[in-house]
Amino acid sequence: MKTYEEIVSLVRDALVEAGSTFREDKKEAYRRAIAKESNEQAKWVMETVLANAEAAEEHRGPLCDDTGIPHLVLEVGEDCAVTGRMLDAIREGVAQGLRTLPGRPMGIMGDDSRRIDQSGGLNPDSAGVEPAPILLRRCSENTIRLHVLMFGGGPAIRAKTYRVFHRHNTQVVLDEIVKWATEGVAQLGCSPCTLAVGIGRSHFEAASMMLQAQADGRYDVQSEMEAEITRRVNEADIGPLGLGGRTSVLATFLKVGPQRASGVRIVCVRPTCCFEPRIATAELA
Amino acid sequence: MPKQVRTPISEETAADLQVGDTIEISGTILCGRDAVLPKVLKLIEEGKADELGVDLRGQVIFHTAVSPAGVGPTSSNKLEIESSIAPLSAAGIKLHLGKGELHPETVEALEKHNAVYAVIPPVTALLGAKTSESRCVAFPELGMEALYLIRVDRYPAIIGAAHGKSIYDRNRADGQ
Repeated sequence: MKTYEEIVSLVRDALVEAGSTFREDKKEAYRRAIAKESNEQAKWVMETVLANAEAAEEHRGPLCDDTGIPHLVLEVGEDCAVTGRMLDAIREGVAQGLRTLPGRPMGIMGDDSRRIDQSGGLNPDSAGVEPAPILLRRCSENTIRLHVLMFGGGPAIRAKTYRVFHRHNTQVVLDEIVKWATEGVAQLGCSPCTLAVGIGRSHFEAASMMLQAQADGRYDVQSEMEAEITRRVNEADIGPLGLGGRTSVLATFLKVGPQRASGVRIVCVRPTCCFEPRIATAELA
Repeated sequence: MPKQVRTPISEETAADLQVGDTIEISGTILCGRDAVLPKVLKLIEEGKADELGVDLRGQVIFHTAVSPAGVGPTSSNKLEIESSIAPLSAAGIKLHLGKGELHPETVEALEKHNAVYAVIPPVTALLGAKTSESRCVAFPELGMEALYLIRVDRYPAIIGAAHGKSIYDRNRADGQ
């Protein structure tokens, strides 16, 4: 059992790693895309993004100045218990991580109305950015595992969660995902992106599937549906930063949850930016 | 080889920049985004641009916040930002630095004032190593969204709009 201080330290380091580091499969995805790209501007953008990742990792500093909102996925094994004190330690670790990275001080202060219209001002403390509610799920290993993901604002603007009438045909849903993703990536600005997609029975479930898809997704392991979505969005020739080229999307991470006995599916599509998923994982047990 | 662009940018230098050119920007540049640009425009409209304490002529405006996390472009086609491009160009700004496609009327306004728009990748870690000074020059109450002046060395960018043309039009036309 880890102490409070040990958990704080592990979460802090995971947040800094999430905000400053590309995982190896993502670096390799960039290298493959650069090698295949014939558009010189697209190639230049991706080489610059990869060089930025190497510089950020070396200095343990932010990949992007929009350092993002912490989103947490907590996995709990068979004999493990999560206590309120552990949740406090996770929260403290997030705060310390934001100060260490450093995160952009973009927490909005004030009452409900002032937080909406931003008239309450910005909290000058990087740790003033509160994490989103924690998503809890079971894991097969006997451990407590925390995934820290940092969600930027650009993808949030272009993401969409809505219903799709599937007409008992998976292709209908895939067509709609491709349509939404193509529109979103074209407006994103910070492509090439990774598409995070969740399909569930409610908006909450679809969004939670989208979050889990980012925790589980791998650039070197793509399902048939994921590969089809990526291929079809890339046919739009949006390219890195929208400047044209074959690489608008590096990969798709799709998670399909339980479905309702109904003609409707709730779909969440988040076109994440060229740095996302910004993710790191810590074992807290 | 990228073209070297140093501030203040002359009329001749601006006229020489073409869509698709890769450039490197050096010198002091202004930084501002959604919150501060409308306030800057209001000062200009009221004839109080001197209160900014900086000469806008030949300047670059980088659409970014300036925070301990560094700098990086926000979308230039946000309402408050894109609507600032024409009047700031009229006031002497020669290069608007950001990301995302601009509307045709904004591209036309750039041409009218011999100003250009450049797209910069959101590479905060690399830009940090190329940024040596940072100073808030106006509206400090906006915090990281205030108007800042920073000194930069060879910021990488691509000319996205110049002389009535847009790189996004070209890519669509070429079917790239």
